Amino acid sequence: MVLKIFFPQCCNKADSGLLVGRWIPGQNSAVVLAVIHYPFIPGQVKQYIQQVESVCVLTFLSSPWFRWYIQQVESLCSFLRDLSTIFPQGQWLQLSREMGKIGFRCHVLTRDPREKDKVIFIHYEQRKVMLSQLHPIDNGVPDPQTESQLPQVFGTVCQSEPLFFLDKYDDGPVKMTHWQSEGREGSIIVELMKQASTPVCLLTTWMLTLWTSLCSSRILNMRPMRFISSKLSTCVQLSYRTEHLQTVCSPTRATAHNHFMRKANIFVSFFVDVSLGLLLVSWMYRENRIGKLANTLVPAADYVAKELEELLQWLMGAPAGLKMNRALDQVLGRFFLYHIHLWISYIHLMSPFVEMILWYVGLSACLGLTFALSLLSDITALLTFHIYCFYVYGARLYCMTVYGLSSLWRLFRGKKWNVLRQRVDSCSYDLDQLFIGTLLFTILLFLLPTTALYYLVFTLLRLVVVMFQGVLHLSVDFINSFPLFAMGLRLFRSYRLAEGVKFRVLCEEPGTPLHLMMDINPLKVSSVVQTYRTPTYSCYPKDSWLALCKKLFLGELIYPWRHKTTKID
Amino acid sequence: MGADSGSGAAPGPAVSWRKVLWERQPFPDNYVDRRFLEELRRNEGLRQYRYWAVVQEAGLVAQQISCVALFLTLWLYMEQGLLSPSTLLWTGLLCALLGYGLYQALAPRGDSDNHHRTRWSDLQSASIFLSFTFGFSPVLRTLTESVCTDTVYAMTALMLLAHLVAFPYAHPSPPGSLSLNAALFASVCLASRLPGDLHTSGGLDSSSSPSSLHTFTMLCWALLVFALWPCLLQRLRDCAPWVFGCVCVLVGVCGVGGLGSLWPGGAVLLAALLGTVTLLCPLLLIRLQSDKDNIQGPWDEAEIREDLTHFLH
Repeated sequence: MVLKIFFPQCCNKADSGLLVGRWIPGQNSAVVLAVIHYPFIPGQVKQYIQQVESVCVLTFLSSPWFRWYIQQVESLCSFLRDLSTIFPQGQWLQLSREMGKIGFRCHVLTRDPREKDKVIFIHYEQRKVMLSQLHPIDNGVPDPQTESQLPQVFGTVCQSEPLFFLDKYDDGPVKMTHWQSEGREGSIIVELMKQASTPVCLLTTWMLTLWTSLCSSRILNMRPMRFISSKLSTCVQLSYRTEHLQTVCSPTRATAHNHFMRKANIFVSFFVDVSLGLLLVSWMYRENRIGKLANTLVPAADYVAKELEELLQWLMGAPAGLKMNRALDQVLGRFFLYHIHLWISYIHLMSPFVEMILWYVGLSACLGLTFALSLLSDITALLTFHIYCFYVYGARLYCMTVYGLSSLWRLFRGKKWNVLRQRVDSCSYDLDQLFIGTLLFTILLFLLPTTALYYLVFTLLRLVVVMFQGVLHLSVDFINSFPLFAMGLRLFRSYRLAEGVKFRVLCEEPGTPLHLMMDINPLKVSSVVQTYRTPTYSCYPKDSWLALCKKLFLGELIYPWRHKTTKID
Repeated sequence: MGADSGSGAAPGPAVSWRKVLWERQPFPDNYVDRRFLEELRRNEGLRQYRYWAVVQEAGLVAQQISCVALFLTLWLYMEQGLLSPSTLLWTGLLCALLGYGLYQALAPRGDSDNHHRTRWSDLQSASIFLSFTFGFSPVLRTLTESVCTDTVYAMTALMLLAHLVAFPYAHPSPPGSLSLNAALFASVCLASRLPGDLHTSGGLDSSSSPSSLHTFTMLCWALLVFALWPCLLQRLRDCAPWVFGCVCVLVGVCGVGGLGSLWPGGAVLLAALLGTVTLLCPLLLIRLQSDKDNIQGPWDEAEIREDLTHFLH
């Protein structure tokens, strides 16, 4: 049996004394946390340790305390007997270091003597292990029997934080050496922020409650408003950010590592977002750039309309030599031209107010860069609404043509679609059904090129707009979900996110056990992003490429970007 | 045990050979005795055709070909402007009425209630036909405007061929879907190629433009020839078979004659075709029966006959 002893590096040079630590059940290993120096009164030590145990209730009460001591004096037996009466434990270990050698030696003293155990010392940096979090994170309550060794070691060090509050400047009965014994570090700014955070959080929470109650009031919850607000990406982003702020500003402290990281990520990304937004606003409002932007909007809309008109004139002729049915061509072309005419009239009607609207609306970019991008996406959607309408008309017409044709083709061959069995069956039709069916089939077949061409043209236009909006939404989603805080931790304090450990040999002398140094292996960057990604209403392509092509071919309306509902984790 | 396959070369033990697989017999595996090929049956189910019966059946095919020819003749007349559409329309209506009267006269003796109900539904069907055709005529007129004439002719030919191939010759009365639809498609293609623009400048005394009338007439005649005429033919065949033969001959003669008035070469070709189909092909069929050589026997694939009576006892 190999006995593993985890020994903090800070205690290597400590004076002799009583070691305080924890025996990990079932793993035959022990974690040393601190050294209590001579002289000490065992009764006071026991009192102190019981005090500490009462604070970290979970860890220490459930495991028996074993004490070891480092010895540089000769006679111990009576001392050991004294200690055994105060700390009634079964197993004692005796660590010693010989002069001239670097490594320790360990001597196991048990009530029931067993064969000589082989001992390995594993040195660890206490501060890093205490602050680090081992991945993958186990969210439930771990079962001490089945949990593996490394999480238990990390957990022990992490949870014995109250043990490290005494430093060497304290006037207590107990003198300890641990990572913080040179003095606890603190900073005024951090303390001030901690003091100020609670009232700020309370204020923000109250304001958010007010805002959410306003949003869920009856007026704003009517069907048309709800429908519009679900379509406008600005409103969606607004509700999303409200949720985020509620998470961040909740007055309760985050206990689990996950919650803490989520709060930190949201806070940092919100901060970055708002600062970028303010930067954008300051840039735009300087030199009246927003006025210039407003002045180019209406001519841009005019230009788009003119191009569309030219396109329709081309379609009404003989485009690319295709055989279009002249009558239908003229009808469709005139219909769409009239729509464009209406649209341009509305734009011109609104043109005096555009600058003012844009000025005020642009101020909302102060809330963040994501808002500016969502606004841009919404403005694009509003300005190209006529293209969307044309697409819907063309798609519906084409869809009807295709479905009619496929059904009448089945009639042509004397077959019918059996809805119950979902298959094609033969059917004997009546004479008048056959006659009218054939007439309609002929008409639809010859009108197919015309409708197909209009559908193709408007679908292409719509896809261009959709691609642009998709790019905007993807970047908004990226800003929302990227875990900046976790990334920063990984880059600057890589020991905080640990994937595992690595060992290297410190010294290997004959006569002393093996000494290893445990270093923390930081988490891979891709795992960081994957683990700490904030779940969002992510825009992802709803259909695969094949399904999309099939929908395009059949003329079904496509909405390629679909919003997922926010996941509650 | 060797390639010994002679039927008489094997030694003849006391036990006789049985044609079973599960029993180990002292014969080689490929041994056959003198009863080999006893169960071979040749040309089972061979029918003896009689020439004139086959000719009579083939007459229906010839009749259908001449119907198609007649239809094409009418189209040619209208296209060349030799017949005005209104004349044709009235002729068609008259023929329809005559045919309907004949149809009802030849009806099997049943109760009169059936007749009344059928007459009312017939009237409904007729009104549906007429209204739809009239309503769609302006649309159908310009349907193939942009399609090249050669394409239209090619499509028509293909569709009429499909009609002839898919026609239910055994039982023409419920019209086959594919054949009727192909014929109507062909007639729509042809109808859209009729010249109508020459008459639009003239004075219009009817409610519809002349070119729409062309289309309407064409479609009415298509309906008559391809949809209603086979029903009458079926009735004739059922009631008076000898009249049926005369009618086929008459139709053939009309077809040839009609085509001949416009295109003599075509008439000759048509006559040749009809003769081949009616007279030559039955001859070939009967002659070639003697060359038939089908063999059936127990080595054919097992046919599972649904005879479950042995499960009953």
